[in-house]
Amino acid sequence: MSPVAPALANDGDDVRAAAAGDRRAFQRLYHLHVGRVHGAVYRLAGYDHARAEDLTQEAFVRAWQKLPGFRHESAFGTWLYRLAVNVALMDIRARGADPVSMVDDEHLPDPGQTPFCAAEREELERAIGMLPPRARAVLVLHDIEGWRHEEIGTELGMAVGTSKAQLHRARGLLRNILGSATAGEMK
Amino acid sequence: MNEFEWRRQMRDLRQPLAPRQNLWASIDAALDDAEPAITAHLPMADGPSRNPRRWLIAASFAASVLLAGAIGWHARQASIPAHVASAQRTASSAWKPSDPRLAGAATQLDAARMELQQAIQQAPDSPALQRLLMRTEHQQNQLRQLASDAS
Repeated sequence: MSPVAPALANDGDDVRAAAAGDRRAFQRLYHLHVGRVHGAVYRLAGYDHARAEDLTQEAFVRAWQKLPGFRHESAFGTWLYRLAVNVALMDIRARGADPVSMVDDEHLPDPGQTPFCAAEREELERAIGMLPPRARAVLVLHDIEGWRHEEIGTELGMAVGTSKAQLHRARGLLRNILGSATAGEMK
Repeated sequence: MNEFEWRRQMRDLRQPLAPRQNLWASIDAALDDAEPAITAHLPMADGPSRNPRRWLIAASFAASVLLAGAIGWHARQASIPAHVASAQRTASSAWKPSDPRLAGAATQLDAARMELQQAIQQAPDSPALQRLLMRTEHQQNQLRQLASDAS
């Protein structure tokens, strides 16, 4: 078991104290959960450090405001994570994301014929960061965070079929980006 | 690479990541503006807050809570039998400090507590109301302590 797990399991006292207005308890919760929250927000924000930090801060402020209504139906960490993802998705919506694509998606490869491509971690993250925001959100939530299309559709206000189409589009764009990067290195 | 390997590669990206800097200081500052601050209109033993903006927000919040409570109270009074309302008034005037500065705060707090209790009767599952009531009662205890210390 990881060393973090017992601490996560015992954050109930701090959650109750923070809900009653204990700022120090909330600070402990911040230190306990900031890694998971910021990691998810950072990926959704296209690996933009400054924006991710703004969104992480906003997520914790909202958590503080909403904490008295937290019903302990799920783990606090899960509740906080969902809230932070929602903050990041609201930011994407507020920015009027998509439909303009930063990359050419007219010639997407057929996923049935094109193999998934290997890439170094940094290369992959850079490519994900180049995706259009909404397509990136679907790819991050589905392929990285492990969400189901039904959940993604609910959070992003889109039909399940649209979520699947966005994922297909995002994977195709990612292959194009990684492919052109590889081709550039080989020249 | 097949889809299974692709998925594994993507899931490997799912790792916690701390921010480049500790965000707590800025979050802590932002919480001053974010938290419900019903306590701020009370005479506190350690003096007023040094942040005027915080006081302004706190005063606005307290005023809106009192106004909402008053509206709810008046609406409820119309449907409450006279003997019940009389009993409530008697209960609410139980304690009043001799110091006029504290007496005003005591009256306000007592009224706020009553309004919150009535609001809770209508919405018993509201944790926010319960929390406000707990704070108000805590402030009443603080006020009693202040009055006791002053005398």
